[in-house]
This record gives sequence, structure tokens and C-alpha cells, in this order.
Amino acid sequence: MNANADRLILGTAVAAIILYLIFPVIVVLAISFSSGNFLNFPPPGFSLRWYRAIAGDPEWVSAFIVTLKLGGLTALFATLLGVPAAFALVRYIIPAKALLSALILCALVTPPIVTAISTYLFFVPLGLDNSIVGLACAHAVSGMPFVVINTAASLRGTDRNLERAAIIHGAHPLWAVVRVTLPIIAPGIVIGAVLAFVHSAHELLIATFVLGGVGKPVTVKIWSDMQATSDPTIAAASAILIGLAILTLATVVSAQALARRRST
Amino acid sequence: MTAIAGHTTAPPRMAASSRQRIIPALLLMPCLAWISFFFLLPLALMCWRSFAAKGYSFAAYTVLFTSPLYTKVMLTTVKTASIATVIALILAYPVAYVLTISGGFRRALILTFVFIPYWVDIIVRTFSWLILLGDNGLINKLLMATGIVHTPLELLYNSFSVLIAMVQILLPLTIIILFGAMLRIDRTLIAAAKIHGAGSWQAFRTVFFPLSLPGVYGAGLLVFVLSLGFYVTPALLGSPRQTMIAQTIMVEASELLDWGQASAAGLVLLIITTLIAAIYNRYFSLDRLWGGSDA
Repeated sequence: MNANADRLILGTAVAAIILYLIFPVIVVLAISFSSGNFLNFPPPGFSLRWYRAIAGDPEWVSAFIVTLKLGGLTALFATLLGVPAAFALVRYIIPAKALLSALILCALVTPPIVTAISTYLFFVPLGLDNSIVGLACAHAVSGMPFVVINTAASLRGTDRNLERAAIIHGAHPLWAVVRVTLPIIAPGIVIGAVLAFVHSAHELLIATFVLGGVGKPVTVKIWSDMQATSDPTIAAASAILIGLAILTLATVVSAQALARRRST
Repeated sequence: MTAIAGHTTAPPRMAASSRQRIIPALLLMPCLAWISFFFLLPLALMCWRSFAAKGYSFAAYTVLFTSPLYTKVMLTTVKTASIATVIALILAYPVAYVLTISGGFRRALILTFVFIPYWVDIIVRTFSWLILLGDNGLINKLLMATGIVHTPLELLYNSFSVLIAMVQILLPLTIIILFGAMLRIDRTLIAAAKIHGAGSWQAFRTVFFPLSLPGVYGAGLLVFVLSLGFYVTPALLGSPRQTMIAQTIMVEASELLDWGQASAAGLVLLIITTLIAAIYNRYFSLDRLWGGSDA
């Protein structure tokens, strides 16, 4: 069999699959800049009118503020809980470690609708429904695995002798962790926190139940508007979410670059 | 776990050994308490609710297992999830393979493209297909312009539109899992096969492919579990005749306000997904993520 023909077929197949992966993203971005009134692709012309529509609509603005607060709190909770857990899992011998790992990760494979109804039924008697903090508490459960996985990965890649050297030179062990190890693994923690933020910003079902009435986050607003209207405002809101994602992705990439510079 | 013990524990001393137990417990406590309170406790209450709401009986479960509606919905869910999983695996395999055999710039480029959709909301990606597959959408316009069809094809609101969107959503994760599994394959075995006269196709078919199968099964299990819970995609792109289980639970809860029935259906779905995840964990141990088994 001809090796070159093989490579050509494989390359074409992979290119086609990648096109299939990114085409929906391109479509939404293109329509958000449409000058037309309808969701047509390709759009008839270029304009920023749908972005102006969002900036001028207090409901959309408040939805974005809710999403930012929610994602920020989720990332904060997930980081405060996940980083210590990663230290324990990587550095210590723990009985039933496999079970603990499964417990930390299981929120990721639990169907969102199940988490949504159980969280709502639990939150109503506690008065946590309609609360951004309450929803962030629930989102932190599924955001935490991202922090634990990324922190653990950085932690495994660091040289523990640096910390030992600090202790030998008289530093308190806890101080050695804070001053020596934490700065080294910081990029891993940041990546985890960013992923937890994005996870929260994308989550729809728990958010619909907990914050479905007033003070909707962006995903809930997009979802409920999608049923009612069909103008490119939704595409522009989606594009802003994509922009947020790209911004966070850039944060991740620069954090990684920083890590690489530190390690060389 | 023994690998960890090898490079992390200090020389055994009595004082250190009790500290070795207390510190990790303190470090894990907040995280486990949080998961118990905000995740496990609500699930337990949901379980209790599924009995209590129907006067402490199995009434909700009787409905689940006897009504033709739920049987049909479960069959649709399993069928759709299976087909989506198989297609995702078939499409992800060549991409993961190319990622494995290429290095440096090309690998980084492909990975970037794979990750871009992963950062875009599922609602947004689903919405995009609504635009592309409509009667006036790009696909129908292209088909009509080239004269392949004369009236627009009905591409929306059927299993085709649901599957095309579901697979697009599942692909990045499938590719990443398969790529991770393929990286662990010892590539010198393929070189050895070639030295002994195998062509590159034969080396792939008889050495690389069989070695990659455990990774394929693992990715398949995980992707299948995730597809069972899909809500947005079938709700937006599917037909009411092909409702999936998450949609039915949503209707029971938010429209019919039958929390007992919603809880019971949720619990059955939870048990199914947990069982499959447990099988995955048994064979592809999850704690590999923190270097549990192959550090």
C-alpha cells in the first residue's frame, strides 16, 4: 500500500473532522456581526448593531454581571477546596484513595438534570434558591475536579527538594509550602480556577432551577430567549461568551508560558 | 499508590507517622464536607422524596417501569446515546492517531482546534446547527445550488440533527481521552514490527490498533455516560417523538410539578450512570489523574 496515499487520506479526514468541530463556532461569530434582522448564514453585511443592542439592554447587562459574579465565586470556592485536596492526594498515603478520587470526580459524570432537581429541592427549604452564592456553592462541586486535576498535575511535576531545602534552612514547613511550592504550582491552580469559571458560566440546568426567575445568568437568558425570539442578539450574546472563553484561554496559555519560563 | 509512597514519604519515624495521617485528613476535610453537603445530601433527599411524595410507596417507580411513555423514552435515550458514542469514537480515532504520530507545531495546532469548541457553550453550539440545517440554512442552500436536491431537505427536528450536534459536542473530549490512551502505547513496538518487515498499514493493524482498543473502550464508556444526560441538544433540535430522559424529567419537574415522579426518574438515571462510571473506574482507574497508578 502506498504510504503517501495513506497520509493524504488521513490528513483529509482529519481536516474534515476539524472543520466539522469549529464550523458551528464560526457561524455564530459571523451572525453576531450581521447587519440583517434574521439568523442567516452567511450574513448580508457587517454591523455591530446586535452588540449595541446588548450593551443597551439592562436585562442583558445584568445577566452578564450575574454570570461574572457566579463564575468568580465558583472559581474561588473550587480553588479554596480543591488545592488542599490535591496536596493530600498527591503527597500522602491515604486509605481508600480510589474511593475518594471517585467521590471528587463523580459530579462530572452525574447527569446535570439530576444534580439540578436534587439541588433545587434541597435549596428551597434552606432559602438558597434565587441566591447567586447558593448557586455558586452547587457549581463549586463540579468545578472542583478541574482545580484538583490541574493542581495535582503541577504538584507532581515540581521538585520537592526546593521545599526541603527551605525547611533545612529553618523555614516552618507550612511557610515553605506557601513561599516555595505555591508560586511554582500557581499556573496549574490558575488553569483549574479558569476551567471552574468556564464550567459555571456554561452550566444551564442547575442555574435554570435556582436562578430561573429574576437575575438570570447569561446561559439561562440565552436559553429562554431562544424559545421566544430569533434575531441575532442571541448570537451576539453567545459571541461575547466565546470572547470570554478566548480571554480565559489566553490567561491559561500565558500562565503555562510563565510556568515554562520559571522551570527553565 | 506504592509509587507515590516511594518518592513522597519521609523515613519512617513514629512522630511523623501520626502527622502523616492527620495532615491529609485536615486537607481533605473541607472538600469532602462540601461535596457531602452540596451534592450527596441533596441526592439522598431526592431519593427520599421519590418515595415520600407518593405517600411512602413505590408508586413513582411502578409508573417508571410500566408506563409505555417511560419505556419509549429510555429506549430512545439509550439508542441515541449509543449511536452518538460510536460515531464520536470513529471520528475521534483518526484525529487522536494523527496527534500521536505528529509532534511539535502540528500537534499544537490540531490541539488548539480541538479545544476551541470545548470552550464554547453547548447551547451556542447547538444553536448554530439550528441555523445551518434549517430550510434556508447553508446546507440546504448548497444542496439546492448544486442541483442535488430541488426542495429543501428536512434536516431539523429529527434524529439526524440531534446526532450531528451531539457528536460535535462529544468529539473534543473523546479525542483528548483517546490521545491520552494512545500516548501510553509503546511506539517502539511499531518500529519493531516494521523492522521485521511489516508495512505501515500492517504494523498499524496488527500492533497499534489492538493496543489502542482498551483506550477506545474507556473513552466509549465515559462518552456514553455523558450522552445519556443530554438535555439542550434533543430539546432544541429533536422531535417530540424522540424525547430523551433528561427532557422528560425536566417536564415532570418544571411543567407538571410532579417532583416525586421527577425524583424517581432522576434516581434511576443516576443509578445507571453511576454503575457505568464505576465500571470505568474499575478498569481505567480514575486516580491515575493524580498519579495514583502510573506516576
